[in-house]
Amino acid sequence: MARRIGFFICECGPNIGENVDIDAVLNAVEDMDDVVLAARFGLMCSGPGKDFLKANIKTEKLTHLVVAACSPKQHELTFMEVCEDSGINPFLFQLTNIREQVAWVTKDKEEATEKTIRLAKAAIRRVRYHDPLSKTALAVNADVLVIGGGVAGMAAALRLASPERRVHLVERSSSLGGRVVAQGPIYPTMASGGEMATAMVDLVEGNDWIVVHRYSEVSVVVGFFGNFEVVVTGELEDGGTLETKVNVGAGVVATGAEVLEGKPLEDLGHGSIDGVVSSAELEAMLADGSIGGKGGKAPKSVAFVQCVGRDEVGYCSEICCMNSAKQARLLLEAAKGAKVHILYRDLCVPGRDQQAFLEGAVKAGANLVRTTSVEVGGSKGGITVSHSLGDGKAEKLMVDMVVLSPAMVPPTGTEGMAEMLNVELDPSGFLLEAHAKLEPMAAGIDGIYLAGSASGPRSVSDSIVQAEACAGRVLSSLIPGRTIEPEIRVSHILETLCTGCQTCLEVCCYGAIVYDPMKNVSHINAAICRGCGNCVAACPSNAISLYHFTYKQLYQEIVEAIR
Amino acid sequence: MTSSDAKADSQGFRPRVVGFLCNWCSYAGADLAGTSRLDVPAAISPIRVMCSSRVDPVLIMTALMRGADGVLVTGCHPGDCHYDKGNYFARRRFALTDQILTSLGLEPERVRLSWVSASEGPRYAEVVNEFIEEIRELGPNPMRTNRSL
Repeated sequence: MARRIGFFICECGPNIGENVDIDAVLNAVEDMDDVVLAARFGLMCSGPGKDFLKANIKTEKLTHLVVAACSPKQHELTFMEVCEDSGINPFLFQLTNIREQVAWVTKDKEEATEKTIRLAKAAIRRVRYHDPLSKTALAVNADVLVIGGGVAGMAAALRLASPERRVHLVERSSSLGGRVVAQGPIYPTMASGGEMATAMVDLVEGNDWIVVHRYSEVSVVVGFFGNFEVVVTGELEDGGTLETKVNVGAGVVATGAEVLEGKPLEDLGHGSIDGVVSSAELEAMLADGSIGGKGGKAPKSVAFVQCVGRDEVGYCSEICCMNSAKQARLLLEAAKGAKVHILYRDLCVPGRDQQAFLEGAVKAGANLVRTTSVEVGGSKGGITVSHSLGDGKAEKLMVDMVVLSPAMVPPTGTEGMAEMLNVELDPSGFLLEAHAKLEPMAAGIDGIYLAGSASGPRSVSDSIVQAEACAGRVLSSLIPGRTIEPEIRVSHILETLCTGCQTCLEVCCYGAIVYDPMKNVSHINAAICRGCGNCVAACPSNAISLYHFTYKQLYQEIVEAIR
Repeated sequence: MTSSDAKADSQGFRPRVVGFLCNWCSYAGADLAGTSRLDVPAAISPIRVMCSSRVDPVLIMTALMRGADGVLVTGCHPGDCHYDKGNYFARRRFALTDQILTSLGLEPERVRLSWVSASEGPRYAEVVNEFIEEIRELGPNPMRTNRSL
């Protein structure tokens, strides 16, 4: 069928009408190939304007539409809807921007008219090479991926799982529960962390809508909100691996934090001086009764050293002061009459209940000492802790136990996780939220959320609050039964031209391209492609084309634009 | 100066410049220059692309071979690309474009890559004004008159 192009220019009231000689533009384009109508209207986006378009499309049997008006950011969709209503494929349409980028930036009317003619001709030449494209509706996948089986991950999974929404919970280790499962009483309530985590594990394991992948890591995530394709790689007993493909609509990253190890602790005698332990080691000793239990040791004097590794990591880990206050309380209960010193640099006591909790520790006998530097040395009959008080004075303590309170750091594998998910890292290496205040749970990628210590050290209660918030974000946006419209203007590969060089795989930021070794060609997954066109520019054999931004279409535009 | 850009100057030179604008940052920046009623030389013809990474050397060369006096490519600032890293790819390809231009005997200054964000209307106007000024100094694309190339 022959092309019948209608060209319409919008006066936009005085905005375009006063700065561009509309009649000159109409004269310039009306004789162009395939143009059957060139017309003007006062305000094309208005009801009467749209009716004017529809009537002309009908009477002139137009097959293609070009509108010269405002920015496509304003009314491209408006006119695409007019096309749809009139039975023209909305992609057989081109809007050229003669308001923001001509009339409003060009003072000289003659120049503005001349530029408008150039752009109008470019749009008309371009639209002749447009292809009709059809929208596809994709049902959202309501299932959710949760990475990390600690309290944050489990809390998110439990809130999300339902008959309409399966949750895939991926845990790297052999068991769920994370760091909290090994904890005794936790501040500020002194309820048992271990019992709480174990109860959550039971709930998760008993939930029919949560699929737990143990000994597993997420190895591939491609796609977008509502439509992620995930590969979970599990370790088998025989040393082999098992890849499971999982489709989800959103993901919650709850990979937690690890405790700093190595030099900062070793410098304070950890590993070389008897009686120097880390806070995690003390937690285990308190839990298994080797301190305070029957036949257990009862240290007479203990020094907690806070902020171990703080200078090295460059941030306050937020939870260690309160954790030491808690451990001091437990120690004072287990070893009656013991002397407990907490050597701190700055106290971090946030929240409603924490101040009272700390005061409770002091009341129970903990001695808070502000210090600027600490040295630990072994000696006969104890450990010497020398520290300066900041005003030039120094103090020496003789204790029989030193508890080092190290910084919390990102877990191993965080960098790889960030790269896989396209999430940024903050300077300290934790996953970065889109905005600390406005989007604290969002990862900057639609449909990926961060819970718990994945984005920085957090207390158990804060982690659970975040997990609930992540679940809220998912529940409010990823509604079962809804559909999404994937990008239509995507890239595609012409198999006959593809040489299988896989350059496109290298440049695609979305993992949308796969290589088929049988045919020695690559394929683009249209449901994953976002339509940037990077692969088009990278393809050395010109085998890739981006719908609606093809070489031919851009060529036509270029030719008229520089005439 | 800006008022006479699309018209011939005293030597009869009327610059023609193609501007490839990425949809998400630079095109919106150019729109903002409009809503702010700034002066942008009419010599530039904006062409919208989704990402600066779509603008391969072939498109740039096409414009120059067809007689464009200059080609301006604008994209999101480093780190702000809507498609994550597209602008980095655009930047890398620019090194190649430079070499092609030199080997063809064209001034590499005829092609420019600039970052313009959606909020940088004034910067867009400034970049275009500067670039057109530079093209004026370079004079017409020799390919326009010397078709043997």
